[in-house]
Amino acid sequence: MRHQSVPGAPSDVIWLDGVTKAYQAGGPPALADVSMNVAAGEVVAVMGPSGSGKSTLLNLIAGLDRPTAGTVTVAGRRIDTLGEAALARFRARHVGIIFQFFNLLDDLTVEDNVLLPAQLAGASRRQAGARARELLERMGIEQHRDEYPARLSGGQRQRVAIARALVNSPELLLADEPTGALDTATVQEIGRLLRELNAAGQTLVLVTHDPALAQRYAARTVRIVDGRMALAGAGVPA
Amino acid sequence: MTWFGVIRTATGGMLRHKVQAVVLGMVLLTSTASATLGLALLAAGDTPFTRAFAAQHGADVTITVNAARASSAELAATRALGGVTAASGPFSEATVQVQLTGQPFGQRVLAGRSSPGGPVDDLVLNAGHWPNGPGQIVLNGRPGAGPGNGARLGSVLTVGGVPRTPPLEVVGFANSITGTADGWVTPGEITTLRAAGAPASEQMLYSFARAGSYAQVRADVAEVSRALPAGAVAGAGSWLAAESEASGNGAIMEPFVVAFALIGLVMAVLIVGNVVSGAVIAGYRRIGVLKSIGLTPAQVVAAYLSRVGWPAAAGCLAGAVAGNLLAIPVLRQSAGAYGVGSQQVPWWASVAAPAGMLTLTLLAALGPALRAGRLSAVQAIAAGRAPRTGRGYAARLRLPRPAGLGLAAPFARPARAMVTLAAVAFGSCAVIFAFGLHSSLSRAAASDSLSATVPVQIQQSGPGGGPGQAPTAAQDAAVTAALRAQPGALHYVTVYSGGVKVPGITQDVLAQAFAGDASWTGYGIVSGRWYGAPGEVDVNTAFLNASGLAVGDTVTVNTRTAQVTVRIAGEVFQPSSEPQLYGSTQTLPGVARGKNLDHYDVGLRPGTSAAAYIQAVNSALGTRSPWGATTPDISNFYSIATGLVGLLALMVAVAAGLGVLNTVLMTTRDRVHDLGIFKALGMRPGQMLTMVACWVAGPAVVAAAVAAPAAAALNTATVHAMAGTAHTGVPASFTQVFGPARLALLSLAALVIAVAGAFPPASWAARARPAAALRAE
Ligand SMILES: Nc1ncnc2c1ncn2[C@@H]1O[C@H](COP(=O)(O)OP(=O)(O)OP(=O)(O)O)[C@@H](O)[C@H]1O
Ligand SMILES: [Mg+2]
Repeated sequence: MRHQSVPGAPSDVIWLDGVTKAYQAGGPPALADVSMNVAAGEVVAVMGPSGSGKSTLLNLIAGLDRPTAGTVTVAGRRIDTLGEAALARFRARHVGIIFQFFNLLDDLTVEDNVLLPAQLAGASRRQAGARARELLERMGIEQHRDEYPARLSGGQRQRVAIARALVNSPELLLADEPTGALDTATVQEIGRLLRELNAAGQTLVLVTHDPALAQRYAARTVRIVDGRMALAGAGVPA
Repeated sequence: MTWFGVIRTATGGMLRHKVQAVVLGMVLLTSTASATLGLALLAAGDTPFTRAFAAQHGADVTITVNAARASSAELAATRALGGVTAASGPFSEATVQVQLTGQPFGQRVLAGRSSPGGPVDDLVLNAGHWPNGPGQIVLNGRPGAGPGNGARLGSVLTVGGVPRTPPLEVVGFANSITGTADGWVTPGEITTLRAAGAPASEQMLYSFARAGSYAQVRADVAEVSRALPAGAVAGAGSWLAAESEASGNGAIMEPFVVAFALIGLVMAVLIVGNVVSGAVIAGYRRIGVLKSIGLTPAQVVAAYLSRVGWPAAAGCLAGAVAGNLLAIPVLRQSAGAYGVGSQQVPWWASVAAPAGMLTLTLLAALGPALRAGRLSAVQAIAAGRAPRTGRGYAARLRLPRPAGLGLAAPFARPARAMVTLAAVAFGSCAVIFAFGLHSSLSRAAASDSLSATVPVQIQQSGPGGGPGQAPTAAQDAAVTAALRAQPGALHYVTVYSGGVKVPGITQDVLAQAFAGDASWTGYGIVSGRWYGAPGEVDVNTAFLNASGLAVGDTVTVNTRTAQVTVRIAGEVFQPSSEPQLYGSTQTLPGVARGKNLDHYDVGLRPGTSAAAYIQAVNSALGTRSPWGATTPDISNFYSIATGLVGLLALMVAVAAGLGVLNTVLMTTRDRVHDLGIFKALGMRPGQMLTMVACWVAGPAVVAAAVAAPAAAALNTATVHAMAGTAHTGVPASFTQVFGPARLALLSLAALVIAVAGAFPPASWAARARPAAALRAE
């Protein structure tokens, strides 16, 4: 662990305060009164049974959805009060997201998939091109640049997704079960990649079912059960 | 569970797509309404005439023969001519001036026939009985027709200009489909009715093997003329004139109603096919699941057909009702000009149009539904999962990202893009066509009524007019004085009008003689030019058709007081079945007589208000004058036609917009997950709106490029078809209504339709929460 995080400290990349999310008005909340913070450069694993609210938590941090109650502060700005356009701008600049099923766009090439967030944020193809190539190289998939995602293996696809998530150099990388659809050997590869990124200072929140992955790569594990924070335990430092 | 129960359960989910049901219903409403109207007009247009013509063995040609020049044997011999298939006559004939209770009843052609029947022109007796002795007459038409209250059974007509003015009692009414005579008496009666010195004439009624066009009819007449001694044929009448009089204005609207109906039909088929194949593609997984739980292929087909069946049936029924409502003003228009037509949509049209559209719809749905039925469960589930790979066109377009992505989208789904293209093309074609037709009809209306060039006419209106009481010379002089005294008139011209005789035309030709320059009156010139030198005249198309003459020919005009030889300088646009001729008073002195003074045409200085001018002239003339100033009346045919065109175009445009909405909606549903990814990656709502709008922008531009020239061509063809139905030529200016700038501006209709159709689903996609979109699978 690099440093002890203090609630609401200015160095925190994520600060949730009393966050509740109910999908149906009046129904049982998917997430209830959750408060947590993540400091810059930290790796936090989120674990919990299926349906406990992990993805919901991640979506709120990513600005993909809005909480029913509570405040969400990410990269220094309150995002629970932002409108759709401002949220979209926020996502493009400040967070990168990696999904279990990759969520690549099938009708764009690997390179176009990686370039897309940069161009949506207003960068020209040329400006973003160098960064994209650098990332593809770092992920070891530069030779597949002009191929379509359908032709790639699961591990290769997830590398494309990671490159895409990083193209705008976001403060925060969010991963929702990034290894859930991969075999054991590939899980190791992706895990190593994530650790390298963190070593370079990347803040990372990782939702996973895999205790080994959490143990090996995360400094801290947050447990969620039935939408509530159960226990925050220190992981084994990498 | 029953067979149908299974289908009901299976379709439960599919019927959730209410928007598609509405789109389907609306498109079918539109096309069924125009189809119903089209059928009604087809029925009202020709069929009653055609049917009556066949039933009554109408005369293709009625030939009037100078009895002094041809013997009965010679006339009988013409029955054997090659082209003749049947003949009646000869019947002796006389043209007489008739009075009814002292009032003029007009000039009538009477024929002597011993019975109403015969191989040609088999008359239908509507009332009373056939004349069985002297002093009896049967009139052509129905009781109550004609001037005044008209003649009825028992009315007594007197014939003027003959000794003892013999009285004729009306004993019956009969109908001649080709109007071979205005009345019939016993054969022996004719000689007593003939004015002293008038040549004895007889009529022969013929059916020919070929008499479909004016040219064929003229050839038929020529064949008979050649067979008889020179000068024997005094005149000839054609069934075509009777037909054009009978078919009226409804028939003239037929071409464009049919054009719109066809556009609606094609669009309905396209959109329905697209809805169903879209549902099949979107439902591949579902088909697999339904089949894996035991639905038979037939049940799957039935499930997909019933998905379109209900909204389609509702749309077709509503369309039939709408078509009937639309038909009311249109058919009333056509029935006005027309004794034979019915005023109602025939019941079979109200049944055939919706039934036909529904059948077509189900046929369009059958293809994709059968495909769904044939698919095996495993295939279907696999097809539902297979990722769709597009090409990298987006990368090559150097456009802002969302626009580039949107413009490239059609390449991933070419079939759907083609439907969008076609719907927009048909819709914008209909809109551009409607604007063009509106311009063409306005020009025709202005040219027909001369309303733009002759905003004011002085016509007989008040006391002193009326039959037989021509205004006095002093009253006429008061008019010219008033016109000179009023400021505002740029020019005026006195117009005389009267019947003249032209060889080769049996009917009277209506001649108008202008006392002074009349080139400013603005008659539409179909070909040639307005008359200049004395001895030149212009004629309408009916004149050329009836006479077989052409512009540049010379013709002898008998003005009753004199014979003048004139040269035809031009053909003017005056749609009418009546042959008309226009010249100066020098050219037509016989017409320019006081009793023929018909009206004054007045052209105003720019900026002069027609209403104010009319008021000023009328107060100067006073209430006692038989003359009054008025605006020329425009036939309400034009306003009804223009309104109908606008309504049909609007319906087609709405249907096209709905078609676009439907394809965009299907695409957003298919791609909802991708849209979620775009959002997760930071695509803003505005950018997404742009992207989805660009899905249709490409097809819309192509559609505009296709629709604009197509609409211009369609307009020209339609105007000519309408003119053909009305037996008139049209000036070239009527169809030259699309300047390049105007056409370019109208092409924007394609973009408007496309964007209006794409906007609702696009804004739905833009507003959707990314988290929800990502969950949707
Ligand atoms: N968009 C949504 N609409 C309604 N309910 C939802 C929605 N998303 C999640 N839920 C519900 O909220 C609860 C939490 O779901 P969430 O996806 O956050 O769980 P999870 O911890 O990520 O589970 P898993 O490990 O299976 O991915 C579940 O009960 C789920 O059904
Ligand atoms: Mg989850």
